[in-house]
Amino acid sequence: MLSLLGTLAKFAVIIVKNVRRNLLRTTFTSLGTMTLVLVVTLVWSVLSFIDDQTSEKANDLKVLITEKNKSPSRLPYAYVSSLKEGAARAPDDVRPVDYMTWVFYGGMLDPTKPSRENFIFLIGGEPEKIPTMMEELDQLGPADRARLDRAVQRMKEQRNACVIGPEQLKTMNKKVGERIKVSGLIFKGIDLEFEIIDTFPDAAKRYAQTSVMNIEYLLAALEEYKVTNKKPHPEGDAPVAFVVLRVKNRAELERLTAQIGDSPLYTAPAVRCESQGSAISSFLEAYKDIFWGMRWLLGPAVLFTLSLVIANAISISVRERRMEIALLKVLGFRPGHVMGLVLGEALLIGTLSGVFSAGGAYLLINKLAGGIPFPIAWFQRFFIPDQALWWGLAVGAGTAFVGCIFPALSARSVRVADVFSKIA
Amino acid sequence: MSDAEPIVRVVGVHKYFTRGAERVDVLQDLTVDVADGEFLALMGPSGSGKTTLLNLIAGLDTPSAGEVWVGSELISQMSETGLARWRTRSVGFIFQFYHLLPVLSAYENIELPLLLLPLSAADRKKQVMTALELVGLTDRMSHRPGQLSGGQQQRVGIARAIVTDPTLIVADEPTGDLDAKSADEILKLLDELQRGLQKTIIMVTHDPHAAERAQRTLHLEKGNLVEQTARKLERA
Amino acid sequence: MRHWLSGLCMLLALSSVARGEINIGDKGGITYSVSSSKTPQVVDDENEIVITADAKRLEIKFKAGRLVYDGKDCGTIKTGDRVAIEPDGKITVNDESRPVTGLVAAWRFFVKHWREFLYGSLAAALALMVLLSLIGKVPVSYNVRNLFVRWKTTVMTALAFTLVVALMTVMMAFVNGMYTLTESSGQLGNVMILSSGSNDEGFSNLAFDDVGNVEKMEGIQPYGNDKRLASKEVFVMGNQTIPVGPGQKPKRRFVQIRGIEDPVVAALVHALSLKPGGQWFSEAGVEEVSGDKASTQNLIQAVIGNGLAAEMGSDRAGGKPLTVGDTFPLADRTWKIAGVLDSSGSTFDSEIWVKRQIAGEQFGKPASYTSIVVRAAGEKEAIKLADKVKASKETALNALTEKQYYSNMAETSKQFLYAIVVVAMVMAAGGVFGVMNTMFAAISQRSKDIGVLRIMGYQRRQILISFLLESLVLALIGGLVGCAAGMLADGWTARSIISGGGGAKFVVLRLVVSKEILAAGLLLSLFMGMLGGFFPAISAMRLRALESLR
Ligand SMILES: Nc1ncnc2c1ncn2[C@@H]1O[C@H](COP(=O)(O)OP(=O)(O)OP(=O)(O)O)[C@@H](O)[C@H]1O
Ligand SMILES: [Mg+2]
Repeated sequence: MLSLLGTLAKFAVIIVKNVRRNLLRTTFTSLGTMTLVLVVTLVWSVLSFIDDQTSEKANDLKVLITEKNKSPSRLPYAYVSSLKEGAARAPDDVRPVDYMTWVFYGGMLDPTKPSRENFIFLIGGEPEKIPTMMEELDQLGPADRARLDRAVQRMKEQRNACVIGPEQLKTMNKKVGERIKVSGLIFKGIDLEFEIIDTFPDAAKRYAQTSVMNIEYLLAALEEYKVTNKKPHPEGDAPVAFVVLRVKNRAELERLTAQIGDSPLYTAPAVRCESQGSAISSFLEAYKDIFWGMRWLLGPAVLFTLSLVIANAISISVRERRMEIALLKVLGFRPGHVMGLVLGEALLIGTLSGVFSAGGAYLLINKLAGGIPFPIAWFQRFFIPDQALWWGLAVGAGTAFVGCIFPALSARSVRVADVFSKIA
Repeated sequence: MSDAEPIVRVVGVHKYFTRGAERVDVLQDLTVDVADGEFLALMGPSGSGKTTLLNLIAGLDTPSAGEVWVGSELISQMSETGLARWRTRSVGFIFQFYHLLPVLSAYENIELPLLLLPLSAADRKKQVMTALELVGLTDRMSHRPGQLSGGQQQRVGIARAIVTDPTLIVADEPTGDLDAKSADEILKLLDELQRGLQKTIIMVTHDPHAAERAQRTLHLEKGNLVEQTARKLERA
Repeated sequence: MRHWLSGLCMLLALSSVARGEINIGDKGGITYSVSSSKTPQVVDDENEIVITADAKRLEIKFKAGRLVYDGKDCGTIKTGDRVAIEPDGKITVNDESRPVTGLVAAWRFFVKHWREFLYGSLAAALALMVLLSLIGKVPVSYNVRNLFVRWKTTVMTALAFTLVVALMTVMMAFVNGMYTLTESSGQLGNVMILSSGSNDEGFSNLAFDDVGNVEKMEGIQPYGNDKRLASKEVFVMGNQTIPVGPGQKPKRRFVQIRGIEDPVVAALVHALSLKPGGQWFSEAGVEEVSGDKASTQNLIQAVIGNGLAAEMGSDRAGGKPLTVGDTFPLADRTWKIAGVLDSSGSTFDSEIWVKRQIAGEQFGKPASYTSIVVRAAGEKEAIKLADKVKASKETALNALTEKQYYSNMAETSKQFLYAIVVVAMVMAAGGVFGVMNTMFAAISQRSKDIGVLRIMGYQRRQILISFLLESLVLALIGGLVGCAAGMLADGWTARSIISGGGGAKFVVLRLVVSKEILAAGLLLSLFMGMLGGFFPAISAMRLRALESLR
């Protein structure tokens, strides 16, 4: 046992020495590996996020109620009271565990100067539902969560309170505590004044450009419009974009779908009930070919290029060292040992570079660059997920292995007699 | 000593190398003349500075002190580019390990130095063929070095050295890697060059038998000239 | 979740605003750069120059030497002047405090002449190779043979070039397909009339009363005895529930529906025709279904885009495209295909056309249009017509030429282009490291050759040339194969979205591998070869002859 460890240690020493022998080549190989692993990491980050968004969760899933036949979806607010109960009528009908109503309110700070800096877009909903029903906010740390809860409480008490993402604040050049006046674009003629009571914590990095408000504020304004103008606002009869419900599992989702489908309450317009994952996949259907290309053309081609770069470097090293490989064999190294040396060298370079590259990308892109700016669909930015470190390791090691398998085999089969006869 | 004008004059040459902080004096105040058309052999124990001297004469290296003249040119003072140009026209090199370019055929190897000269393709061909004939390898001209024996390779090396019709041919242990028979053929060839074409040949060798071919032999020891043996040419 | 509609609505609500600079070049030509994606149209009509950037917000007239912007007189301008539009709408002429810095000017020049730069650089790179092989004295056959001798390394290195170039070609072909699509969708003389304040038909709402007599306006081409080439349309987005087998999760797709009043006029305006065997829908737009059951509903007659027909066909067994006579479900009704649009390469390829009234009723716009598309005599006339519509006092309308409308939709293409450039650069960097390995190894393997050559009198630069040439040859071979492989992607179809300026459209586009893309691929390859070969070649050059022979 001890002697085996000793042997391994000796091998490790030789491998490290080999890696350091041609520093230039090692450097180029690992730089090449790092750049290519970086591309793979970027591509996979986008894909894994998309996969995650469109995957069907088995438990604790969110259900989206939208207008059935039309897009963009518009539902009457009157639907909400029964929808949040899942249109349950009988006592043993499924009732959602949680819900949230979504309205979108967008407008200009200064209608005479329409520009991006001037534009704000708010999601309106029941304030108390924000922490539980909005993606990722339930994962905030205790301090951030307490802060969010305080903001929610304030939004409940003060209808015109709103929370604006830090990046959006910066674009508008506003600060927490300031008031803003918005003239409505989606709801024309509905101008609202807000007080910015807080911003989203940095940990909620996907909320950098997002703003939330109390749905009551908009509903009240629509009501007021009706009174002053003596006719309802054109968009007033159906201000709700969608209702999100949360159910325990897929079986409940199916029962809920049937319940809502059978309900006589939702005819004009009819509603569609689907899991959030499948709603998102239908939205992303148009991008399917692009994702396909990223997944099956770009990714594999980069991986293959990476294997080539490593294979090239290792086979050059093996060719240069034929002489000493022969010598090792004379000294009693078995073919497996020789192969192990070559494999070890490639794996060491590949794995380290892979981990380093993915780790570097993780730090640089998530912490410094603030995400990958790849605006596709409604996603503005993508972040490198935590598992990217494993990708770096796996991709580095995997491509190194694939790349060095042939050179390693050729090193294994170096014949002492051949080498020395040729040299002589 | 030959009566003819010296073509190579090494005057008070000093050469040292620095290895780290250590200074290694290889040649010390060396003065040698080589007559035009002379066949000179350099002998001496390993490390005595034979190759170093040869390199100085061939313009591959510059002395630390002293002068090296070849013909009317003071080559110890030439720039690197000037030396390179001068070498192409004036010096032919023969190496112990032949140093042919493995991917080029015998013909192409011999042609290499000519590519640096303003010659037409036809002229080049003529000169290569002449050199090939001289070394007797016309039938192997399209073979690569790997397909030739050591002796044949060295003959290609000689053809390459003479193809530009240089004034001086330097050979560093040209037979050092050959068996006695091949070595003899090579020496005969050098002999013919010197006699037939009046080439000046400076040859480093460890082989007394090889040195016998030369008209004069210089013995070096630790960078000093220790002995000269001149043989009058009896063979006509 | 939160992002999805928010982003989408933002896209819809936001009409990006033109701002930037105008440069009046020689020959009266005007280059104009804005921070948004708008490409303004420039017309030089004798003494009048009209720039229409965004139908509503930016309009510049240059008449008899005076610049009129948004109704305000900004003084005299002449050829060579620089006019800047500040974000707040203020206009400055030749403001020295905003000099065009060297870099910006250079960039602008580059953008303007990118084609010349591309072909010029490629020609220069190839010329460099020829030049190197001419002044190089080491025979090129020496390099080529060495490439053959170590063929495994050669193949591996060349393959890296091939992959990078092929990938770049495919990705560029995709973006090019997007541009081609947006460029070929608009008709030259067409003007789109939208409701005031909206720049996209998906966001426009023209109540019947608002439209007034706009279709009677002068400048619209007549058709037949009493008609005009004006197509009143309602454009809506529907959700189609895709039939799935039992137990499978429900699926749906977004479909774009265009309701039109008069199919013959609409076809003429959009220059589209039906594929043989099809016909337009009837005046009623529905097909009576005989049957005594009261619940039987009439079939909606529809004309469907070629691309959408293929996509919908993939739902059914066998996957054959839908054709005339086939039906499909949408919005709780059954739709029957009367004809298929011969529409490939345009955005209409992914649309369903039906009677306006039916589209309006089914999708909640019973009493409004989204746009009126009219045909003017030509490009200049279209611009004038658009101006006139906007200026009209009776109606509050927005109008822009169709070309403009679609070129605004190239925003997505731009974003993809940037992403691709970044990916290609990073991959190229990876490839360069691979080439460096190969070349450094080649040099260390052939250091004796180098020594011999130097001793024979070959100058240092000759060694440099030789090895640089070798790496360029490697790059050229790899690049050519990569271009050939990339060319296979020409004609592939892919679904995508084009968007910009507020609207978005689902499209089926065709990948187009153009000469420029191939040239760029080859150039990238040579550039990689140059970069990857240069440092090794320098190190070869610096080898000391005597030492390399020891
Ligand atoms: N570039 C150099 N740097 C340092 N020392 C050198 C260098 N070249 C030669 N020497 C030293 O100079 C001395 C003479 O070398 P040289 O090659 O001239 O000997 P030689 O007589 O040709 O020997 P051999 O018969 O073994 O070829 C040796 O001690 C050698 O180590
Ligand atoms: Mg020696």
